[in-house]
Amino acid sequence: MTSTPTRAAELPPSVPERSAVSVPGAPGRRAAAALSFRNIGAVYVLLVIVVLFSVWAPDTFPTVVTVKQVLNGNAVAGLVALSVVPPLAARVFDLSVAYTMSLTSVLTARFLVSAGLGPGTAIALAMSAALLIGVVNGIVVVVLRVDSFIATLATGALIQSLITMVTNDSSITGVQLLAKPFAGIAQLDAGGITLPVLYLLLAALAIWFLLEHTATGRRLYATGFNADAARLQGVRTDRLRFLTLVASALLSGFAGVVFASSVGSGSPTAGTPYLLSAYAAAFVGATQLRAGRFNAWGTVLAVLLLGTGITGLGLATSAQWAASLFTGSVLIVALVLTGGRIALPAVLRRRTATRRETTETTETTTSKEVRG
Amino acid sequence: MTGPVLRVAALSKRFGGTQALKDVDLEVSPGEIHALIGPNGSGKSTLIKILAGYHHAEPGAVAELDGEPFDLGHVTASRHDRLRFVHQELGLVGELSAIDNLALSHGFARTALGNIRWREMERRTSALVERFGLGIDVRRPLATATPVQRTVVAIAAALQGWEGRRGVLVLDEPTAVLPPGEVARLFDIVREVRDAGAGVLYVSHRMDEIFALADRVTVIRGGRRIATRPVTELTPRSLAELMAGEEMETDHRPPPPSGPADPVLEVRDLWAGPLRGVGFDLAKGERLGITGLVGSGHEIVPYAVCGAHTGRVSGRVRLPERSEQWTEARDADGLGLPLVPADRASEGVIGDFSAGENLTLPLLDRLRARSGRLRRRRESDLAEDWIRQVGVHTAGRRPAGARITTLSGGNQQKVVMARCLAQRPPVLALCEPTAGVDITTRLQLYDLIERQAAEGMGVIVSSSDTQDLLALCTRVLVVREGRIAREISGRDITEPALVHAMEGTE
Repeated sequence: MTSTPTRAAELPPSVPERSAVSVPGAPGRRAAAALSFRNIGAVYVLLVIVVLFSVWAPDTFPTVVTVKQVLNGNAVAGLVALSVVPPLAARVFDLSVAYTMSLTSVLTARFLVSAGLGPGTAIALAMSAALLIGVVNGIVVVVLRVDSFIATLATGALIQSLITMVTNDSSITGVQLLAKPFAGIAQLDAGGITLPVLYLLLAALAIWFLLEHTATGRRLYATGFNADAARLQGVRTDRLRFLTLVASALLSGFAGVVFASSVGSGSPTAGTPYLLSAYAAAFVGATQLRAGRFNAWGTVLAVLLLGTGITGLGLATSAQWAASLFTGSVLIVALVLTGGRIALPAVLRRRTATRRETTETTETTTSKEVRG
Repeated sequence: MTGPVLRVAALSKRFGGTQALKDVDLEVSPGEIHALIGPNGSGKSTLIKILAGYHHAEPGAVAELDGEPFDLGHVTASRHDRLRFVHQELGLVGELSAIDNLALSHGFARTALGNIRWREMERRTSALVERFGLGIDVRRPLATATPVQRTVVAIAAALQGWEGRRGVLVLDEPTAVLPPGEVARLFDIVREVRDAGAGVLYVSHRMDEIFALADRVTVIRGGRRIATRPVTELTPRSLAELMAGEEMETDHRPPPPSGPADPVLEVRDLWAGPLRGVGFDLAKGERLGITGLVGSGHEIVPYAVCGAHTGRVSGRVRLPERSEQWTEARDADGLGLPLVPADRASEGVIGDFSAGENLTLPLLDRLRARSGRLRRRRESDLAEDWIRQVGVHTAGRRPAGARITTLSGGNQQKVVMARCLAQRPPVLALCEPTAGVDITTRLQLYDLIERQAAEGMGVIVSSSDTQDLLALCTRVLVVREGRIAREISGRDITEPALVHAMEGTE
């Protein structure tokens, strides 16, 4: 038995009640619902994976080192995944997060290495660039009303050109990057668990509080599910969508800074591999805990699931192609398995389909009600 | 007289623990318009969906087309030839033209090379559609057509390639989306289909339509067939009793207003969409109806007053009890008047939210602790309280936690109404408040609105349903070509007066 499953299994209890205005059944029924496959299927899948790899690679996988590796190695991926959660809750895609991450990583490196600025200034400037990207994204998507999917793809291309301008397409390295205090941002550790894991927990906590426990969070979900109805109820949908784009740029920008600190270089392609895994985690996460709603802890759980699987595959086989295969398969399986029973996130449904489903459920449940 | 063209017997259907249909019998004769009527949730739609092969009936059901038994579980070619459907949502693709929509179900005419023979398609479609005497441009996307034109295209699509003489056309609440002026045209079309010798099964929950159109009527309630009678043997009162299952008050006419009262809302020179300078005062406790034909712009008035109209708006609005200042109509959302919108599914409720979350959405500021945290206990108490007050009845004990789409249309509308009332507004604006709501709930909604008005709230009801206006309003403004053409109040509000004022045939 390793401590990996324990750690993952520790997560659910810290998760809030299923619905704000939940149906209180018998306490036992409620606990059963909270532990059902429907609710936390990813935990059970994680357990299966752990057992599988423990059998497959008994010498290397079930060790404390692996646990640390999974946590430390996926903190940045987790930050990027969390950055897309608030926009997705409001039904906005921010595909530029990967580029924003690359940009802040190379900007920080550039400012430290070539401009000789202090770490504080360098980080502040890089984060200002991220803020600017968020504002530009907001203007294009909200003010100019371009569909977010294609708009952030376009701004992503613009950011890519900035990255090339800064780097000439080669990584920026230097002793300043490896020196403290900058290197400490990502490399300080307590018992082998590095600081980025703490950042991940803090970011998840903040987003969880925002989405579950504030009026703003409720309004974000309302915007995502039905913007017209939300607007009629006085929700300022445009402002919220704008703010989510700013938030995602800032969080992914921060992930870029952490990345630069942890590898000691600014890479022009730092963010690219994180884009798919971020969306995979957010969508798998949306099938967990708060079925149908993009949520922080579900996303973290999905990141750990994907991270454990990929680490395990790396230890059990040395196949390079296994990681992407695993990510893609988990995403498809999660969406297919849950698609039939659990409400998919609203962005995955076509509006007309939603409407038909609505009238049908209405009809059948009314019959119940007439008799009931 | 030959036998029935469609006969089903002992039809039962169970969804989980719910008996949606129990031993239902139905016979439709050729050359007859047979109405199927019942409240929401009575099983009408389930019955239609079983006939269409969408749901499967339980074993033991008998189904015959023209005396030949057929298997309800399979859609065979001969069944398709004789049984045609126009579903409630019409099943059309708005972005496509009439030609394309008809071709979706019946295929395109093609050359040997496989490319579409557009000229042939256009001729074929025009022939089908023109039969109903509405000038429809078969090449334009249907989204630009009027509701009745779309209904006609749906009927034409259902009738194409149909022999018709020994078949049944099933229409599922075709008037739900039609304004009153266009209902008569639809009725002509339905009669034409009947007169060609086909049977028509006409599903509705509107009694006036039954009396205007049907030859016989079958009433179902609670999944059981209550009665089948020729329409000539029924009165509105006796039919309503069959539907509601009890003696009920059909004359719901409010008493005439008792003298003038202070205005709670004043509207001046409102221009929005087709509206050209509409103005009125709404008195305390008044229930003001606003109506007109489609295109008159009457349905825009509540939206404009609440600042929810998306197009350009001009004019002035004032709440005299609150402020002497006039507010520009384009800033009217700042007044914070709640609106019960016309389209519940797309504007009224957030389908993925629970009933409680829907209810508290505009009240969240009030539920915030100083830390910014939502007080969820208080939120659910508030939701439960209001949901009880407006009388939402569900199988579950705590309906506030249920996803709103699991509630019936009527219960959803009550939640929408409760959401507005919870804001304790001086004025409530409603648009089509009883659309898709069964007759019992309809009366409950009327009661609810009357009680609120009696406590001094001003109510604006925009409706194209004359029953709403008759039952609810103390005064009605009839909008024609963007202006208020006529004002009718008290006992003068009658169906003929309203229709004449709308059509401009006084």
